[in-house]
Amino acid sequence: MNLALRDIRHDLSRFALTAVGLGLLLTVVLAMTGIYNGIIVDATALPASLQADLWIVQRDTRGPFAELSRLPAELEDRALAVPGVARARSYVAHTIQRELPDGRPLRFTAVGLSWPVDGGESIPLIEGRPLEQAHYEVIVDESLGLQLGERIRLARDMYTVVGVTKGILASAGDAVAFFTRADAQSIQYDQSSEAIRLDRKARTQRIRESWLGNDPEFVRFAETATGLIPAIAPAPVSAVMINVAPGASIEIVKQRLATWKDISVYSQEDQNELILGGIVEKTRKQIGLFRALLVVISTILMSLIIYTMTVDKLHSIALLKLLGAKQTVILGMILQEALLLGAIAYTIAIGVGHYAFERFPRRVILENEHMLMLALLVLAISSIASAIGMKKALAADPNEVLAG
Amino acid sequence: MSERSIAVLARKVSKHYGEGNTYVRALGETDFELMSGEVVALLGPSGSGKSTLLTILGLINEPDGGDLEIGGQVVIRAGEFVGNTNQVRRRELGFVFQRSNLIPFLTAEENVRLVLELDGVGKRIARQRSREMLETLGVGDRGAHYPVELSGGQQQRVAIARALIHEPALVLADEPTASLDKQRGRQVMELFRSAARERGAGVLVVTHDHRSLDLVDRTLEIEDGFLIAGGVALGPEGRSGERSSPTVRP
Repeated sequence: MNLALRDIRHDLSRFALTAVGLGLLLTVVLAMTGIYNGIIVDATALPASLQADLWIVQRDTRGPFAELSRLPAELEDRALAVPGVARARSYVAHTIQRELPDGRPLRFTAVGLSWPVDGGESIPLIEGRPLEQAHYEVIVDESLGLQLGERIRLARDMYTVVGVTKGILASAGDAVAFFTRADAQSIQYDQSSEAIRLDRKARTQRIRESWLGNDPEFVRFAETATGLIPAIAPAPVSAVMINVAPGASIEIVKQRLATWKDISVYSQEDQNELILGGIVEKTRKQIGLFRALLVVISTILMSLIIYTMTVDKLHSIALLKLLGAKQTVILGMILQEALLLGAIAYTIAIGVGHYAFERFPRRVILENEHMLMLALLVLAISSIASAIGMKKALAADPNEVLAG
Repeated sequence: MSERSIAVLARKVSKHYGEGNTYVRALGETDFELMSGEVVALLGPSGSGKSTLLTILGLINEPDGGDLEIGGQVVIRAGEFVGNTNQVRRRELGFVFQRSNLIPFLTAEENVRLVLELDGVGKRIARQRSREMLETLGVGDRGAHYPVELSGGQQQRVAIARALIHEPALVLADEPTASLDKQRGRQVMELFRSAARERGAGVLVVTHDHRSLDLVDRTLEIEDGFLIAGGVALGPEGRSGERSSPTVRP
């Protein structure tokens, strides 16, 4: 006769509710694990999708992902001259938050690609194609909710969605949209006409007030569009991505570039370490601590539940002892109940997670090993919880039955 | 009924609690015997040692000294348990209490069957015997009900069924009629009597209830930890008319 099943059957609703509660708690543990994995994958997804061998960034910075980096745009051409460099592409990125005409918020990280060298051919698309023209095309992540062919207004122009990616997010979890560099910067530096007029007036005023103001040619230049003034450099880029030539050594090219005094060079692995050690580290620790806390709470809660369930039937346990039941029968009942509770809670966690996690705003990534880890964790929690109940059961005195 | 044998034989069994100023003699050196098929009532005021004797006979507490045999098997020698007391409890002892003390999460039939299954009897046979026993005790139709769904009398019948199902040598009943009215109390005592006769179990009933004492074979009285004379012993051949030989208070 299985006493554990009969005890559960007798108060099924309480057991079921307990299992559901515990299951939801385990769902949160599972979610924390998945969110942590998601953060790591998200953080490295963007640099991985760009498939660069080396990253050139502003000297002594850990850019462009872990911190701000600014480089002159012409560095792309300088890098191309280095032996072993097959391709150099500039990288610009900035976060944009706008609103679509229907009121939906539109928040994304705009990444500029070095058109025509790079139209996003290395980016894994689930739909559509890479960029094929210098302007007004965009590749977006599906999490942005835009459809292929959809047109959106950004700054002063309309852009057409020509490609869709899946899971290409910035480290903050924002979807990434790929433009040509010119478009990305045009969106970034877009100003209203009034702002432009005021900027030109201020610039002209500064020229007039300086010794340059004596020359009417300087004053005339100051009044023209910024892009037409040769003395003003084009907008800086965040980084330059390098691909080495086939057969060339990444390490050797890196060493060559590192001799330049105005830049720092990182390999793709270096970038991943900078991202994970910088941006993600604190989040990782926080989630790790939160997860540990939840495991402790789950253990305490389950121990308390099993303890209470044991205390509730202490009289029955004393009676069983009086009737000559072996210790294994009594302890087995408590262990089975704990394991069953754990198993049901685990199943609920997996089930709920299966349906809920894909609706989470941030990506939740769970592999089989994480499921196995949770199963082992539940087994450990159940064992600890049952041990506390067993200790109480062992102390049950058959005399209590006689005492009434 | 089969040939009478000694269901329980206690020799110089004693028990005390505490030391020094807190010393309490719960049971003086006591000789006691009970035949199979015999129903004996144990009477005495609170604190007289009834429960202590019951816990020793029930192999719950070890005495300070003395020997005890149950069903011809030595279970306590010189105040110490001998052999597997759990097994002796499973096979040779049956318990009935003031309140039914059925396991609340088992049905009536499962409560009875449990005793057999704990001792390794197969499920099918155990179920059949349990049903038959419940039928015999007049609660066959209540087998699928939980204790909370049974009346006090029905619960006590199920408890008696549980105490008798494995045909123990000794049934220990602690105030089994205390929570029942006179009529139901007598019914329970009659059940003990017929069970003892038909199944050959010795039944020791601890009671304050004098209403049903005409249904027992003899009564024993205990006071301050000593059995005092009372009742008539039942010899191996039936009622002998001899006085029982309890230890008399010094």
